[in-house]
Amino acid sequence: MQRRVFGLAVTLATVAATAGCGSSSSGTGGSASSGSGGATQVKVGVIPIVDVAPLYLGQRKGFFSKRGIDLKMVTAQGGAAIVPGVVSGQFQFGFSNVTSLMLAQTKGVPIKSVVNGVASNGKVGADVTGVAVKKNSSIKSAKDLVGKKVAVNTLQNIGDTTVRESVRKAGGDPSKVKFVEMPFDQMPAALDGGQVDAAWMAEPALTIARGQGARVVASPFAETDPKLTVATYFTSTKLLKQKPDLVKKFTAAMTESLEYASQHPDEARQILTSYTKISGTVLQKLSLPSWPTDIDMASLQKLASLGEEDGIFGDKKPDLNALFS
Amino acid sequence: MTPPETASVTTKPAGAGTGPGGARTRHNLGAASAPLRGLAGLAGLVVVLQVLPHSGLVSGDYLPPASEMARALWHLLAEGAFWAALGDTLTGWGLGLAIAVAAGLVAGIVIGSVPVLRAVTASTIEFLRPIPSVALIPVAVLLYGTDLRSVLLLVVYASFWQVLVQVLAGTQDVDPVAEDTARSYRLGGWGRVRYVMWPTALPYVMTGVRLAATVALVLTITAELVIGAPGLGHEIAIAQTSGAVPQVYALVLVTGLLGVTVNLMARAVERRALHWHPSVRREG
Repeated sequence: MQRRVFGLAVTLATVAATAGCGSSSSGTGGSASSGSGGATQVKVGVIPIVDVAPLYLGQRKGFFSKRGIDLKMVTAQGGAAIVPGVVSGQFQFGFSNVTSLMLAQTKGVPIKSVVNGVASNGKVGADVTGVAVKKNSSIKSAKDLVGKKVAVNTLQNIGDTTVRESVRKAGGDPSKVKFVEMPFDQMPAALDGGQVDAAWMAEPALTIARGQGARVVASPFAETDPKLTVATYFTSTKLLKQKPDLVKKFTAAMTESLEYASQHPDEARQILTSYTKISGTVLQKLSLPSWPTDIDMASLQKLASLGEEDGIFGDKKPDLNALFS
Repeated sequence: MTPPETASVTTKPAGAGTGPGGARTRHNLGAASAPLRGLAGLAGLVVVLQVLPHSGLVSGDYLPPASEMARALWHLLAEGAFWAALGDTLTGWGLGLAIAVAAGLVAGIVIGSVPVLRAVTASTIEFLRPIPSVALIPVAVLLYGTDLRSVLLLVVYASFWQVLVQVLAGTQDVDPVAEDTARSYRLGGWGRVRYVMWPTALPYVMTGVRLAATVALVLTITAELVIGAPGLGHEIAIAQTSGAVPQVYALVLVTGLLGVTVNLMARAVERRALHWHPSVRREG
């Protein structure tokens, strides 16, 4: 009760303070200053999902501060806000799935991946993403998805590309799968309500849907490549040229964080409560990805050629060596 | 420029203990039942929310009963993060509204008092005004990332037009006889703005501010939700991606309550600033 009253008081004080200076400070908001006491402030644009747990864990363990990096996470809704933020220098680093990075590169966006982010855990049926159907659905395997309506979070991206590969491997015709776009969090309800026949979901939506009886019929990441590199941290080529030392330090700190998270999965699971609202049985049950320190180039080759096959890069080809190594 | 500041600062104390006595008692009689009816509507909504999930029409997983939303809300109230988010939202709203009102007033009065300027800008204003603020999100992110300034860009853009258009309408409404009289009495440019244009435009300005206050709140929360700038909207987004359905509804309830509060506040300010105006006196 006291905290509630205190909170209300603090809020009112903030409002009063802002109202007081409202007329004078028109136009300019408070911009983050860089560098206090020797540490460089580094902003990282991330999506608040399971995949970035090592970053938060590394921050808590001091892997960044001991290298003089004052880490500040900026949580955005999806890559649409992260890539422009990194390119314009609002964030120094960003987190994005590799297909989006390849897409950006083929469109001439000056970015470069600097350290691995997250990979498939390779477990078919218990991977970090999966295609789920209703309990009583007639769909039993990826092959049955042919002619059905499948939800993915973004069209022409890593989701539909890898789902098509699962269908292909199961012996179906991937061009006959109908994809619709929908945010992950709405998928359990859409599946339950019958708006879609199947949904390609990431955690925690996948675990939530399973809790309501959904069945997983395909694990597109693991089926594409058990070591599939899914997402990485990237920066702008401008920062890479201007502050190579900072990039090196970030890469080193992130590598240490990835190692630590791989060795301490329980701590990684627990840190989720600090930046998401995942709780209860979902928190205990959700599948963790794997966090290797190295990017798996072979898997990226495969993903890129799948993307080309689907025509998502237009008539261009991503230059994987320039982007990832 | 002083007119906007005197406007926003003096409105409160100006109306402070005034209002014709007769009007006030009648007002109180009518007011007794209006809030009651409002509360009845709210209670009905709560009952529907409580019953609906149990009826099987919608799954409780996606629309939790009102009691569960209330419990989630109660837990939220104990979190420091919630109050910080509320503070961020109110900051974005307050600052954005203040800037929009000030800019709208200055621009409106300047454009409204120079006929040439008005003729030149009319089509431009009509062109810019319907552009939805959310369409500016990529620009905002490119310029300012995900901090307060991005929110302000959207909020100011959306609410500025509300004020400007009303101020322009207000300045057009000046009685030509009053204007001529003022000229005959050799009132200067400033005097005519202060004693002729301002009292005429004030009711319009107040309408503009009231509309802008609501629009500013909607845009603040939208910006937080879509861009990810800190605030209640961002908390909603996090709760959504985490599948924490009761928290999502609890936060949505908070934004709804905030909207009601903002509207009531704006009405109160309007009433006080226009206590002398026939529309308010009749209303009482």
